Amino acid sequence: MTLPDPPSAHKATTTPDPFDEVPCGLVRTDGRGTFLRVNRLFCEWVGREPAELVGLRRLQDLFTMGGRIFHQTHWMPLLQMQGSISEVKIDLLCAQGPDIPVVMNAVRREREGGFVHEIALFVARDRDRYERELIGAQKRLQLLVDTEKKLSEEALDRAAYAEQLVGIVSHDLRNPLSAIQLGVVALARSKPNEQQQRILDRISRSANRTNRLIADLLDFTQARLGSGLVAHRLPMDLHAMVAEAIDELGTVFPQRQFRHVTSGAGEVLGDLDRLTQLIGNLVANAAAYGEPGTPIMLSSEVEAGHFAISVHNIGRPIPAELLPRLFQPLVRGEEHAGEASSVGLGLYIVDAIVKSHGGSMAVSSSAEFGTAFTARFPRAAAGDPAR
Amino acid sequence: MSVKERNNVHVSGLGASTIFFAHGFGCDQNMWRLLAPAYADRYRIVLFDLVGSGLSDEAAFDKTKYASLRGYAADLAEVVREFGHGPAILVSHSVSGMIGVLADNAHPGLFAAHAMVGPSPCYIDDPATGYVGGFRREDIESLLTTLESNYLGWSSTMAPVIMGSPEQPALGVELANSFCRTNPEIAKHFARVTFHADHRADLQLLQTPTLILQSDDDLIAPMDVGRYMQAVMPRATLRIVENVGHCPHLSQPGACAEAIDEFLAANAL
Repeated sequence: MTLPDPPSAHKATTTPDPFDEVPCGLVRTDGRGTFLRVNRLFCEWVGREPAELVGLRRLQDLFTMGGRIFHQTHWMPLLQMQGSISEVKIDLLCAQGPDIPVVMNAVRREREGGFVHEIALFVARDRDRYERELIGAQKRLQLLVDTEKKLSEEALDRAAYAEQLVGIVSHDLRNPLSAIQLGVVALARSKPNEQQQRILDRISRSANRTNRLIADLLDFTQARLGSGLVAHRLPMDLHAMVAEAIDELGTVFPQRQFRHVTSGAGEVLGDLDRLTQLIGNLVANAAAYGEPGTPIMLSSEVEAGHFAISVHNIGRPIPAELLPRLFQPLVRGEEHAGEASSVGLGLYIVDAIVKSHGGSMAVSSSAEFGTAFTARFPRAAAGDPAR
Repeated sequence: MSVKERNNVHVSGLGASTIFFAHGFGCDQNMWRLLAPAYADRYRIVLFDLVGSGLSDEAAFDKTKYASLRGYAADLAEVVREFGHGPAILVSHSVSGMIGVLADNAHPGLFAAHAMVGPSPCYIDDPATGYVGGFRREDIESLLTTLESNYLGWSSTMAPVIMGSPEQPALGVELANSFCRTNPEIAKHFARVTFHADHRADLQLLQTPTLILQSDDDLIAPMDVGRYMQAVMPRATLRIVENVGHCPHLSQPGACAEAIDEFLAANAL
């Protein structure tokens, strides 16, 4: 000690033992764990006199059962192997009161043919509490993760079930619907009067709309479940296909004007029916959301590496917040725009058709230039059997 | 993945028979450092780590496969098949004793002899039959809690610090970085599997000569357990080693080697 002794110290008959003065528990045991020496603080912690411990008890006798197993299976072998060990945390059993969590560092030394263990112990209540909190938090987190996983699995199950149901129902609706359509045709032959003919026309239009809806639903379930839509690509003339589609759409949308521009030679590989359907869906959208009385413009272009179909209309732009989810199912424009709109599967199916051809969709929409949907396709995809 | 990488297999020594050293719960093959070298001039020596321990391939750990000791036994049989020359002797510590029993019963003839250090077929007392394993169920739960707080947070892999071992300067960084290194999750899983195992029924099926090396003061495998094993096993020899603790091969390597040598000589191995 470099500090002068306090005035009262000279009265002491013995010098204080540095072993007792340190602010940690100090213990010396023999190789079997029997106490050879203990300091005052350690005795205070465990609530025992040195005379109760030295030569009589072993350090491991003061551990909980879990601690004793850990001692024998982990830190004793470690100490025997490497001669020292640090940061072992263990609970000390106290004569009175609760166990004290301590962190121990130990060194093993050979002395006169035997081994002694020098052990320093530090109380670690806060570390213990912190660990318990962490373990608790970890368990709660695990529980949340498990619950979340279960819920999302259930949600997926429910969604798949609902989609299957939609598929089954729409498939089965086709039979009664074709009976209705055949009935209309049969009645039309039996010379109906003017009013009856109007009713028949209305039934016929409704049946056709229902038919389209069912076709969309079937495509939707096919695209969502199983392998998705499949394109059967065969050689075809793109420009001729677009021209023919416009021809048919002219009868569906008689109040609309159509313009068609072409570029390049028309020969491409594509699924004629699916591409016609794609044009139909895009034109139905353009007719529904476009400014009435304005023309709908279609372009078909064929270049060396790709071909593209574009449908353009003039009118209010698509709201910006809608753009990112435009091709998701059941997404619709803000306003319900008349009879031509369906349940919101049109663009989803367009996207599925484009993807089945290995292509991609692009949209541009602004107040000045209107809205254009462009489907771009590679001319011949790698691995294409028709190549 | 090769068996060699999976179990971190190391082969050394020369001899007509092969000794496989299988470590116990909590450690790895390094715990044979004091005992194995004594055999390297007379036997082929194979050291390995159980999957999830030491430097075994952690990617090989599979909760389903290792949900019982049979998963480890299947690995042991593969190690023996691939690295054994001549008669195979298994020197096993602690839980590996039972892993050896299971491997031997599943593949009769795999081993010529077992020397088990501190084995136990069942750690938990069974009042119904009067079996004394030494522990109650809540003791094992207490162990799991202790393991949890000793592994937790300080690092994802437990690599104990060597504070300086003046008596064993030879133990360098290599040892500190591998010995007892364990992923905490795997360690808890292994503890649960080990301490909840009950393989008493498998003991009587083992026809291979077996040495039980029993410490006279072992908390994990008390004397009662050694006596029980000798009584139920068809060809078991019990040898008591004066030793406190569960690792006589570390604290009393000389006495262990003597008992094992005598046993091997008696079986002409």
